[in-house]
Amino acid sequence: MERILEQAPRFFSGPNLTLLFESAMLTLGMTLAGCLIGFGFAFVLVFLRQTPGLWALPLRLVCITYVEVFRRIPFIVVIYLVLFFIQTVTPDASLFTIAVIAICLYAVAYTADIIRGGLESVPATQVEAAQAMNLSRLQTNLRIVLPQAWPVIVPPAIAFAVSFIKDTALVSQVGVFELTFRGKELNNQGYSGILVFGTIAFCYFLLSFPLSLLGQHLEKRLATPRGERRTRKIRQP
Amino acid sequence: MNYRFQFGVVWENFPQLLEGAWLTFQLGVFAFAGGAIVGLLGAAIKTYGPWPLRLLVDTYVVFITNTPALIQIYFLYFGLPEVGLRWSNEACLLIGLTLNAGAYLTLILRAGFISVRVTEIEAGQTLGMSLIQQIRYIVMPHIAKSIYPALANFFIVVLVMGTSVGALIGVDELTGQAINLSSVNYRWLEYFTVVAGMYVVLTFIASIGLALLGRWVFRVKARIF
Repeated sequence: MERILEQAPRFFSGPNLTLLFESAMLTLGMTLAGCLIGFGFAFVLVFLRQTPGLWALPLRLVCITYVEVFRRIPFIVVIYLVLFFIQTVTPDASLFTIAVIAICLYAVAYTADIIRGGLESVPATQVEAAQAMNLSRLQTNLRIVLPQAWPVIVPPAIAFAVSFIKDTALVSQVGVFELTFRGKELNNQGYSGILVFGTIAFCYFLLSFPLSLLGQHLEKRLATPRGERRTRKIRQP
Repeated sequence: MNYRFQFGVVWENFPQLLEGAWLTFQLGVFAFAGGAIVGLLGAAIKTYGPWPLRLLVDTYVVFITNTPALIQIYFLYFGLPEVGLRWSNEACLLIGLTLNAGAYLTLILRAGFISVRVTEIEAGQTLGMSLIQQIRYIVMPHIAKSIYPALANFFIVVLVMGTSVGALIGVDELTGQAINLSSVNYRWLEYFTVVAGMYVVLTFIASIGLALLGRWVFRVKARIF
């Protein structure tokens, strides 16, 4: 305890705090980049998975296998596989790129299921009406299904992104200079483990808590259909 | 890319990987069981407890679910020796995972507690059921039906994501074994490809087991895929 009190002023000095802030931003940036790119690819994956017809069966199987397999492999194993695979292909790829690619691969598998759930929540009659009006499959998805599926997709997608902020801690293992790596380094410099990892945990909390509140808020707001919200406003003076 | 895969080394050391897989499975089961006890307590307090205890459980859940499991385990691993508590690597991992899983399971189990309607318990009381009978015939089926899929899913998360963190504090479970073995001969890609496959097989076995268990014991149709 005395050790923590004695180290605290030195630990919370300017340079340390700037470095902590920088690494927190790196954590956030990595997660956002990975999740956004992954989200985009997941749409493509779901679109491919929903291709009708017998000839597309292998395509559908590949998509389903991808999702199932990546949900069952630990993130750390994916990171190592990506790291060593990328380094055999292009030896001078930066660690940040490697981390983003690993996050991307993982995010695609997880968000594909969220997106599929959202798209399937739209009543089939809407799709049939679109087909009756001779819209193509892409048009149907973009103009009819997606606008109605957003409220179902967005809240769990945000929840996933928040959970991924925490999972990126594992990327420290390959040497990306993010929060966990910084924490290990400070610990190696001789600062008390309780102090260092308590602070790092608090940094993660600061990153993830507001976002998870936002997710919960959106879930509540988007869960009520538009008509229902209106009637409520009328009935409650 | 001129990399030649050589899986021969991996098959030579396959028994060691299997040992790691067995340890992974044990750690997963124990962490989940411990987490379930913590979660059951937490959910019961969150639903029926007085407000100071509720606040305590809420704080615990919010803090644990918003920080990485790795940091929690590092906190136990690097922090506690300063207070004089020296635990083995496995103990640190297990306690960290139990605390972590406990918070998530509190949330999942609470959803199950809420799904039981008060009127149904009252109906049970009217029929003269004892408390145990009420739990056995009214509460349990409700909880099982509403949250069994979520529970089964979370078990896989603990088994895969949870235990693999142990590799970073020197527990020789599946990932740890792979890191140890591949740092001997640098066959990282081969080892981790095989290990990824082993994780897939391991979780499929667990999923099928859980689905069968759910069908026989709780009469829930759980999905395997």
